Amino acid sequence: MYKRQQSAADIAGSTLKYLILILAGAWMLLPFFWMFSASLMTSKEVAHLPPPLLPAQPQWHNYVDVTQVVPLGRAYVNSLLVTSLTVVGILFTSSLCGFAFAKYEFPGRDVLFLLILASMMIPFFVTLIPVFYIVKQLGWLNKLAGLILPSAVSAYGIFLMRQFMVDIPDELLDAARIDGAGEFRIYWQIIIPLSGPALATLGSFNFIGSWNAFLWPLLVIQSRELYTVPLALNSLRTYGMESQFHNLQMAGTAVSVIPALLMFVALQRYFVRGIALTGLKG
Amino acid sequence: MVEQLPKPTSTAVPDARPPSDRAWRRRLSQRTLWAYLFVSPAIIALLLFAIGPFLFTLWVSVHRWNLIEPVFQTPFVGLENYRYLMTRDEIFRRALRNTFVFAICGVGVNTVLGLMGAMLLNTRLRARIFWRTLFFLPIVTAPLALGMMWAILLNKHYGLVNTLLEFLSLPRQPFLSSPDQALACIIGIAVYQYVGYYIIIYLAGLQGIPQEYYDAAAVDGASRWQSFSHITLPLLRPVLLFIVVTNTIGALQVFDIVFAATTGLAGETSGGGPAGSTMVVVLHTYNTAFKFFRMGRGTAMGLVLFVIIFFITLVQLRLLQERT
Repeated sequence: MYKRQQSAADIAGSTLKYLILILAGAWMLLPFFWMFSASLMTSKEVAHLPPPLLPAQPQWHNYVDVTQVVPLGRAYVNSLLVTSLTVVGILFTSSLCGFAFAKYEFPGRDVLFLLILASMMIPFFVTLIPVFYIVKQLGWLNKLAGLILPSAVSAYGIFLMRQFMVDIPDELLDAARIDGAGEFRIYWQIIIPLSGPALATLGSFNFIGSWNAFLWPLLVIQSRELYTVPLALNSLRTYGMESQFHNLQMAGTAVSVIPALLMFVALQRYFVRGIALTGLKG
Repeated sequence: MVEQLPKPTSTAVPDARPPSDRAWRRRLSQRTLWAYLFVSPAIIALLLFAIGPFLFTLWVSVHRWNLIEPVFQTPFVGLENYRYLMTRDEIFRRALRNTFVFAICGVGVNTVLGLMGAMLLNTRLRARIFWRTLFFLPIVTAPLALGMMWAILLNKHYGLVNTLLEFLSLPRQPFLSSPDQALACIIGIAVYQYVGYYIIIYLAGLQGIPQEYYDAAAVDGASRWQSFSHITLPLLRPVLLFIVVTNTIGALQVFDIVFAATTGLAGETSGGGPAGSTMVVVLHTYNTAFKFFRMGRGTAMGLVLFVIIFFITLVQLRLLQERT
């Protein structure tokens, strides 16, 4: 920046800048503020017209009461299981496949890569009905496997990993081969440790996508004991539309958003880079 | 796949220490086998859950099928499903229109708001990370959860937004309960949720513009507006295109927000209300297929939207190749 004298216009501009930021920031926080505030209110308070901004007395027991209405604890365990296995699956299949495309010559490679590019162009909802049928035929309906296995592969992930691994020097691989390392060992002990940033990008992305997934679990899972967090949230939503249930709904919502927020804070750098790179949504 | 491998060709990666010809070939073919092994989990999964189902979709869309009867004994109906959508399914046409309005308005507003936000966040700021995080919070939150929060905030009786309007001495609004305002509310929720995406991508683009350009322009006496319209905008063009394309594709598939904000309300079991004013294609597909078990029509709907998305995706893939 070139140096300028601080003029009155600069000060006004800077004040305006912070004013806009504060207003926009308040708008961004409003739903979260309301969620936490309402989650601590009594039924009477949330149903009051107009509703108070803050509870007179924080009702922490709402967070316990909500688990009586929907099996939120169970849903949490299910979601953590589904999300972590899906992410591990995606990281494994994508890195292994991306490695082969980046570092091996084999007949049919270009055709197979084209196949992957082609499947990147198929939006998930187009195949919703056939995938549902296939999962049904495989006997995975109303099972957590039906959530994990169809999601454990990502064409974008393969593409991303390949682009990243192409830049790893071939000399490293050759040196390992001279030392007698097998191909899988090269993948596991050389490629994977070097691919940390790409794996973190892909992983943080799919963690949030999988944690928040709703439409597919809505189709696959029927039993309450197999609910993921979004399904539990949805059943909480339809449990009572009247305003006196909003405190419990918001308590459930508050609990549900925490893991994704934590993941975001921990891996913000990678997450942001993933979006900037691919424009993918979580 | 593996057993009928052609002989490995000499295009393989040269070994650091060329062994005898025979050993060389054996090792290469071994390496080729490993490569096939490495790609097979992903390729099999993609064939089973993406490519295969896509071909299956094409097939189902020209048949009448209710998901329960054996799939290969269903009657072939030609383009009947498509004709039904285009001529008799008024909800579908409504949904298609709403989806387009949603995508164009949502993406349009955020393309502008996101750029403003990114430019603001790209200036000298105190606590920049704090401000940035504020805008990124909604994008990691489940659309379902945000839809629930906003449905309460926008309630015509006890919603906080109406309390706020009253406080500012503005008239109260019915928001999601009005056929005239509901779609605008859904767009508003989406704008709120996704503005952070646009900011992230714009920020990456802005940070790629060398500061020297602005310094040179300032030396030449360019105003702020001039350096924006002559430096920032032209250099952001590829980023802008990328943002519009990828987000339009995403917006055309909107489901969660509409589902969360419109289903389950009094008398609204299929969602998209009031009076179909927020019905979107994916929600209508969901209802057609999984409430009324019209798989043929459901897949046909998906394919109509796919054709639209396909052309947008072609542009996107080209952009992606340029960027990575």
